[in-house]
Amino acid sequence: MRALLCDRLAAPLLASALLLAGCGEAPPPPSAGFAGLGESAEGYTQARPGTPLRFPEDHGAHPDYRIEWWYLTANLEDDSGEPLGLQWTLFRQALSPPDETPPGERPEPTPWAADQLWMAHLAVSRGDQHAVAERFARSHSADPAGGQAGAVGHPFRAWLDDWQLATRVEDPDADTFERLTLSAFDGAGEERAGYRLDLTAEGPLVLHGDEGFSQKSADGQGSMYVSQPFWRVEGEVVLAGETHAVSGRGWLDREWSSQLLGPEQAGWDWFSLHLDDGHRLMAFQLRGGGEAGGDYRAGTWISPEGEPRALAPDELALTALDTSIVAGREVPTRWRLEVPAAELDLIVEAPHAERWMDTTVPYWEGEVIARDRESDERRGIGYLEMTGY
Amino acid sequence: MATLLATLLSHYRRHPGQLVMLLLGLWVASALWSGVQAINASARDSYARAEALFSTDLDRLERRDGEALTRDNYLALRLSGVPVSPLLEGTLEAADGTRLTVIGIDPLTLPGSSIFAIAGGTAATGTGDFTDFLTPPWQTQLAPDSLAALGVAPREAQGATPLLADGQRLPPLILAPALPPDTLVMDIAAAALLLAGSGQIASGEQITRLVAAPGALAEAPAGFALTRAEALASPGQLTESFHLNLTALALLSLVVGLFIVQAALGLALEQRLGMLRTLRALGVSGRALVAALALELALLGLIGALAGIAGGVWLARVLLPDVAATLGSLYGAGVGAELRLPWHYWAGGLAVTLGGLLLAGSGVLWRASRLSVLGLGQARAWRAGFHRQLTAMAAGGGVAALAGLALAAWLASQPPGEGLVAGFALVGAMLMASALWLPPLLGLALAGLTHLARRRPLAQWALADLQLQLPRLSLATMALLIALSANLGVSSMVGGFRLTFLEWLDQRLAAELYLRPPAEQFEAIDAWLAEQPEVAERLATARSDAQLLAVEPGGGEADTAVQRPVSVYGITPGATLTPRWPLAATQGSRETAWEAFGRGDIFINEQLAVAEGIGPGDRLRLSSPRGEITLAVAAVYPDYGNPRGQVLMATPYLTERFAAPPGSLGIALAPGADAAALSARLLDAFDLPRDSLIDQDGVKRIATEIFERTFTITRALNALTLGVAALALLASLLAQASERRRRLAPLWALGVPRARLAHLQLAQLGGTALAVGLVAVPLGLAITWGLVAVINVAAFGWRLPLHFFPGEILLTLATAVGVALIAAALPVLRLWRTPPRALLAEEAA
Repeated sequence: MRALLCDRLAAPLLASALLLAGCGEAPPPPSAGFAGLGESAEGYTQARPGTPLRFPEDHGAHPDYRIEWWYLTANLEDDSGEPLGLQWTLFRQALSPPDETPPGERPEPTPWAADQLWMAHLAVSRGDQHAVAERFARSHSADPAGGQAGAVGHPFRAWLDDWQLATRVEDPDADTFERLTLSAFDGAGEERAGYRLDLTAEGPLVLHGDEGFSQKSADGQGSMYVSQPFWRVEGEVVLAGETHAVSGRGWLDREWSSQLLGPEQAGWDWFSLHLDDGHRLMAFQLRGGGEAGGDYRAGTWISPEGEPRALAPDELALTALDTSIVAGREVPTRWRLEVPAAELDLIVEAPHAERWMDTTVPYWEGEVIARDRESDERRGIGYLEMTGY
Repeated sequence: MATLLATLLSHYRRHPGQLVMLLLGLWVASALWSGVQAINASARDSYARAEALFSTDLDRLERRDGEALTRDNYLALRLSGVPVSPLLEGTLEAADGTRLTVIGIDPLTLPGSSIFAIAGGTAATGTGDFTDFLTPPWQTQLAPDSLAALGVAPREAQGATPLLADGQRLPPLILAPALPPDTLVMDIAAAALLLAGSGQIASGEQITRLVAAPGALAEAPAGFALTRAEALASPGQLTESFHLNLTALALLSLVVGLFIVQAALGLALEQRLGMLRTLRALGVSGRALVAALALELALLGLIGALAGIAGGVWLARVLLPDVAATLGSLYGAGVGAELRLPWHYWAGGLAVTLGGLLLAGSGVLWRASRLSVLGLGQARAWRAGFHRQLTAMAAGGGVAALAGLALAAWLASQPPGEGLVAGFALVGAMLMASALWLPPLLGLALAGLTHLARRRPLAQWALADLQLQLPRLSLATMALLIALSANLGVSSMVGGFRLTFLEWLDQRLAAELYLRPPAEQFEAIDAWLAEQPEVAERLATARSDAQLLAVEPGGGEADTAVQRPVSVYGITPGATLTPRWPLAATQGSRETAWEAFGRGDIFINEQLAVAEGIGPGDRLRLSSPRGEITLAVAAVYPDYGNPRGQVLMATPYLTERFAAPPGSLGIALAPGADAAALSARLLDAFDLPRDSLIDQDGVKRIATEIFERTFTITRALNALTLGVAALALLASLLAQASERRRRLAPLWALGVPRARLAHLQLAQLGGTALAVGLVAVPLGLAITWGLVAVINVAAFGWRLPLHFFPGEILLTLATAVGVALIAAALPVLRLWRTPPRALLAEEAA
C-alpha cells in the first residue's frame, strides 16, 4: 500500500496537475479543472480486481500504470544492541500515458526524451539521529535497462544513480528476488549516511487485498499491492560518518496503480509490524474517502508461514492517542491498533518522534514498538508512515 | 489652524514663482534619488542575469582528453555516484536575426542553488508545470525582454510557439523574469532536438558541460578535469564594485538634493518673515505657527516627493531604455505604458525625501519658533549671529577633518581589505570638512582681498558686498562644492572603471577568434593555423589547479608554509599579449619580467600577492601531479574581479608541469585579415562544430555596449546633480534679489553705469564660483581616491587604478563658473530692466 505516495508526489516539486489527476481523481469528475489532463489520465492501465500477477516480471517497472514504488523499511540492531532504522524507496511516476502504437512501430525516442520520472529516498535513524537524502532522475520506457534510473524484473535490479537494490543470485534461472543487496550512500565525512545490506527472504511474497488488488476507498479504486515482509537483513549502516555492523528484519512493499485516492483523501497512516510470534501485520487508514466521508481502513494479517488474511474496514480499528510536535507539525506518534479477529489490542508508539522526512515531498516515517495494551508487554516492532500532517 | 494655514499659503498665490521654485527643488531632489535607485536596481538586475549565463556558481567537469562530453559520459558518472548535471548550450537565430542563447537543462539533477532551477521552480508554481517542462511539446522559459526578438507581443507571449530563422518552432513560451535577456531555457531534450535540427550539434547525444554543486565532488573522477566554481573567470566582483560606487553616487546625490530643499525652504520662509511676525503680533502662538509651517512643509514635501519619484523613473527610462524593461521584469508588468511601481518603491522614495525634508526644514522651523516679535524692521533678524555661525562651522569642519585623519591613519594600519564602513566614513568626513570650511575660508579670503583692493573703491565695495552676501550664499556655495566634487569624483571613478573594464576585456579577449579544438586534433589544427597567412599569432591557453605550499622570500629569510588553493593559468607571451597585459610590480623592467616569464618564471595576481605578502623575486612551492615544484615570481599583475589567487605561466610549461590537457586556442589575426573567411575554412578543414569557434570581437563589442550604456546613464545623472546645484544657487540669489537691488541704487546714484553694475555682479558670483571650483578639484580627486583605493580595496581586496582626467577637471571649473553665471543672469537681467528711479524708490522704502 503506501497508496499514499501519491500525495507525496503531488506535493510541491512535482506539483503537476497531471500527478494530482492521477493520484487524486477517482473517476475524473466531469467538471474537473484539469480538463485536458483528465483525458490523458484515461490512457493508463487501471488496477482492477482479478488482474493476474506474474513474477518475476511484476518485480520490474509497469510503465503502463501511472505510479509505482519499491519501498523498503528495516528494523535493525547494531553490535551493542542499539536499535537502528532505515528506509529506501524508489518511486516511479509516468510523465505521459503509454504510446498506443504497437511497440515495434514506435519511433525511437530522441536523446534525453523521458516518459518516466523517478525519485528515491534514503533515511537512516538511530536514537535522536536521523539522516535523509533524496534524488531524482528521468528515463524512457523504451530503454528500461539503460537509464539513469529504472527497475528490471529479472534478474532483479531497481536503481537511481548508484543507489541500487539488486539481486545477489547469480543463477539466472533461479528466483533472483530471493536474495538482494541494497546499497545507497549520501554525503561525505561527518555528513555521510547510507548502507550496504544483504537481504534474504525467509518467507513467501504476500498478496494483499483480493489476490493482490488492494482497495483504497469505499468507491472502489485501488492498487496492485504485493509485499515481501520476511527479509532477514545483515550488513553495514553508516550514520554521521560512523559505520555500524547491523542485523534485523526488513519489509519491502511493491505497489503500482493509476488512480488511488479520492480528492477528499487528505493523507494516511500506514503500519507494518513484525510481531515477535512470527506474525506480520499491515494496516492502513486513508483519512477521508470511507463510507459517508469517514476514514477508509484495511489491512492484512499474515501468518508466520506467509498466509495472508485480508482485513475488511470493519475488522480493524485505529485510534490516535497522543501527538508530538515534529518539524512544527502535530503528528500522532502513539496509537491504539485493534484487530479483534487476531485477538490484537496493541499500543503502537514511536520511541523517537523526530523522524520527519524533510524531502521535497515531506512526510513522517519512523520505527515503532508495539506493546500489548493490557499487559504492556512488548509484542513486536515495525514502521509507521504518516502523510498529510 | 485652517485660517492660519490659508494665510501662510496665500503668500504663494501672490508669488507663484516661489511655489514653483520650491516644488521644483523638491521634485529635482527626489527625482535624482529615485532615478539613481531605479538605475541601480536595473543595473544590478542586468548584471545578475548576465552572470547567471556563465553559471559561475557551479563546479564544472571536462574530459581530460579534451573530447566533447556526451550523454553516455553523464550516465556513467551518475551511475557511479558522481552528482553531475548536464547542460547543453548553443545559439539559435530568431526570425529577425537576433542570436538567442539556448540552454538545455535537466531540472531533476541541476543543483538547487542555480538560477535555472529557480526559474524552473517559478514555472512549476505559476502557470506552467513541471511535467509540461519535461515532456513534449516542452516549454521555453525566457525573460519578458527577450520577446521582442521573437516578434511576440507580451500579452500573447504565454504559450506562443514562435518560428526561428531555420524554420523550427520554439516550444510554448513561459515568462521567467529572472533569466538574462535573449536567453532561452528549456528541457535538455527540447534543446537537443532544436540544436541538432539547426545543425549546430552533430547529435543530440552531445552535451556542452557537466556541472555540480560547489564542493559536491571531493576530486575529479578518473579521466575528467574538475574546475571549481570560484576559479571560473567572472566579471562578478568588477560589477559588484561598480554597484558599490553607484550606491555612493546615490548617497551623494541625496546630500545635494537636501541642500537644494533647504535653500528653497529658507527662501520661502525668508520672504514671509513680515507675515510671520504680523501673525505672532496678532496673537498666534509660536507653537501654532510652527505646526502650521510643519503642515505646509509636509504637504509640499508630499507633492514634490511623489512627483519626484515618478520623474526619477521617467528620467531613468528616457536615459536608459532598458530600464523600463528591467523594472518590468523586476516588479512585474506595467512600468511601460502606465507607471505602476510596487508600494515599497514609493514608500522608500517618500521616506527618504520626507526624511530629508524634515532634516532640512527643522532648522527653518526652529528659527521660526524663536522668531522675536519685537524684531520688527530687522531685515536680517536671523543673520545677526553669522560670525558666531562661521566660527562654529570652522570648528565643526575641524572636527570632521580630524575624524577623517584619524580614520585614514586607522585604515593605513589595517591589513588591506578591512574597513569598508571606515572607508565610507572617510569619504563622508572629507566632504563634511570641506563643505563646513568653505564659508569661513571664503570669508577670510574676501577679507584679505578687500584689504588688498583698498585703493580700488569699486572692487573694494564689490568684495565687501560679497562678504555681506556670504551668509545667504554660504549654503548654496556648499551645495555647489559638494555637487562639483561629487561630480568630479564620480566621473573620474566611472571613467577609471570604464578604462579598467575595457583593459580587462582587452587582456582577456586579446585574440579575435577563440577556438576550443578537440584534443586529438589540437596539434593538427595548430599546425594548419601556423601556415595561414591571416593568422598573426596562435595563443594557446591551458588551466589547472594547484595548492600553494610555501613561500620562499627572495631576501633569504625562512620559508613561510601556507596551504592555499590557487588556479594556474597558461598564456602565450607574444606580440599580441605582452604589450596589453598590465603588470603592477616587476623585478627589474617590464621587458626583463617578460623574458623571465618566457624562461618559465611565473606571474601572480594582485590578490595572491596581497593575501600572502608575496613580491617579485620570491619563490613559490606548488603541488603538481609531478610532485612539488618551486617557481620564481617575476611580476605581479592586476586581476580585476577575480576573487581567487592565480598563478600565470607560459602554456608549454603549464601543460608539462601540471599534465594539463590543451585548453583553448586564441587566434590573433594579421591586420586586414577576414575573420569570417578564415573561420569557414577552419571549420570546413577539420569538420568542427560551429560552436567550437567564438568570434571574440563580437563578444567584446556586446560586453562593451552593455557597459557603455550604464556609463552614459551615470554621466547623465552627474550632469543632473550639477543642475540641482545650479538651482540651489539660483534660489539663493533670487531670495535676495530685491534687497540687492536696493543696495545697488546708491552706487547708481553715485554715477556707476548700470552695465558696470551688472558686470560687477556677474564678476562677484563668477569669482566665488571659481573659488568653489578650485576647492572642488582636489576634493573631487580625493573622493575618487577614496572610492577606488580605500572603499574598493576594503570591499574586494584589490584597487582600481586611479586615473586623472584633465578634461574632467577643466570641465568642473568651467561648469562651476557657468552655473554661477547662469544663476546670476536672471537677477542681473532684472536689474538691467529696472528703471533707476525704481531702484531709488526701493532704497527709500
